[in-house]
Amino acid sequence: MKADAVGWLFDPVGLLDGPLPTHYEPVESPVHNQIYKQQTSPVLKYWKRDDNQLAAVGDLRYPHVITTYRLTEHYLAGAMSRWNPWLTELQPELFIEIRPELAQEKGLQNLDWVRISTPRGQVKAKALVTRRLRPFKVGGKLVHHVGMPWHWGYQGLVIGDALNELTSLVGDSNVSIHEGKAFVCNVEKA
Amino acid sequence: MAEPMGFYADTMVCIGCKACEVACMEWNRLPAANGGVRQLSGDSYDNTQHLDGIHWRHVKFIERFREAPAVGRWLMMSDVCKHCVQAGCLEVCPTDAIIRTEFDSAVIQSDVCNGCRDRIGACPFGVIDINPASNTAQKCTLCYDRLQAGLEPACSKACPVSSIQFGTIRELQQRAKRRVQHLHAQGEKRTYPYGADDRVLGGLNSSYLLVDQPAIYGLPRDPKLQSCNLFLSSILSTLGAVVFGPFRLMSLRKRRMDEIAERRQELEENHV
Repeated sequence: MKADAVGWLFDPVGLLDGPLPTHYEPVESPVHNQIYKQQTSPVLKYWKRDDNQLAAVGDLRYPHVITTYRLTEHYLAGAMSRWNPWLTELQPELFIEIRPELAQEKGLQNLDWVRISTPRGQVKAKALVTRRLRPFKVGGKLVHHVGMPWHWGYQGLVIGDALNELTSLVGDSNVSIHEGKAFVCNVEKA
Repeated sequence: MAEPMGFYADTMVCIGCKACEVACMEWNRLPAANGGVRQLSGDSYDNTQHLDGIHWRHVKFIERFREAPAVGRWLMMSDVCKHCVQAGCLEVCPTDAIIRTEFDSAVIQSDVCNGCRDRIGACPFGVIDINPASNTAQKCTLCYDRLQAGLEPACSKACPVSSIQFGTIRELQQRAKRRVQHLHAQGEKRTYPYGADDRVLGGLNSSYLLVDQPAIYGLPRDPKLQSCNLFLSSILSTLGAVVFGPFRLMSLRKRRMDEIAERRQELEENHV
């Protein structure tokens, strides 16, 4: 976004990964970059720590793509909204949205407890089986996609596991926004 | 009397944020069920499930997806009391607790209601239920207190996408008509207004723009008042009285005769 309030595609100065946008795969991806040899952004930020392990490209132990997101009923990580009964009764528990085909493959019914794991950690959540999620056909294989909101923690009227257990410490090259929208995980019945 | 006022909810633009639910509970000081602690319903993003005595607004989440998800829809609809022009609840209330206000809304006076629950069954939309805190029937008041102060209801005020619109019924009905015409011209021919004319219970003062069958949204296609069966049920009751009355009379007589015989026997035994 520039001073004229318009987004520019070509930006000769200012961006570490400019001047033109291109496609890189997320740091953790089930597939190789279909467009370039360069798999991920060469200038992304990564904090090297023992508890910040990354899954290799196409790691069979973590075959599913996971996206984390907010719900309208809660605010950020929920530290404030988890104490408001008008809000907690609208979204009381952590869940994982999962399509029926994947649920069947894993022997999961709606509302069953699910264990979700990444190389960093694992959490438990209830399954919300829905057709809203669709699989990706990418790199010649079918990749399932699961989604989880991240508003729960260990205190409040309603509690649940924190999704920061799953995400990695990587940041985009310009403003260090971490990659919580696209990484990989495994899903199994808890 | 002021002009009839009400809601028109355009379900096409509802984003399911539930701001209306929270604004309603906050303004009307309604308690959350079980202190806000409940379990995940497993029914999409709908965890309150229905309207009741402490939930006067309820956003329905209806997932309409088949095998090919590209044609699917996630329908959202903010449900509320319809403030029917011919209101079933007004007909049955034995204490006249429910009144028709100057805004043509139907409002329950909590201090007059004796909690008899007649109205719960009389509502064709399942809107009314008992508020466990007051033990009286309660539902949307169309924010009668706010209206009297010249404000719009809390829910429509809070709606960030103007899905819930508040205004005079005349204006809202025209708005619904224009919106449907506009959508049809754009090729979205499944949309239609629900309750925005006098065909459903003389008109609903809370009308909707829908994109699927009423039943998909849990709405009756053609709701009827209980009194529409009045003639038939009166005849059947009379007929029942004529047929079964004599049996009852006979059984009463038999009981009386048995009692007399018993007493006579007692008297005879005492004499002996």
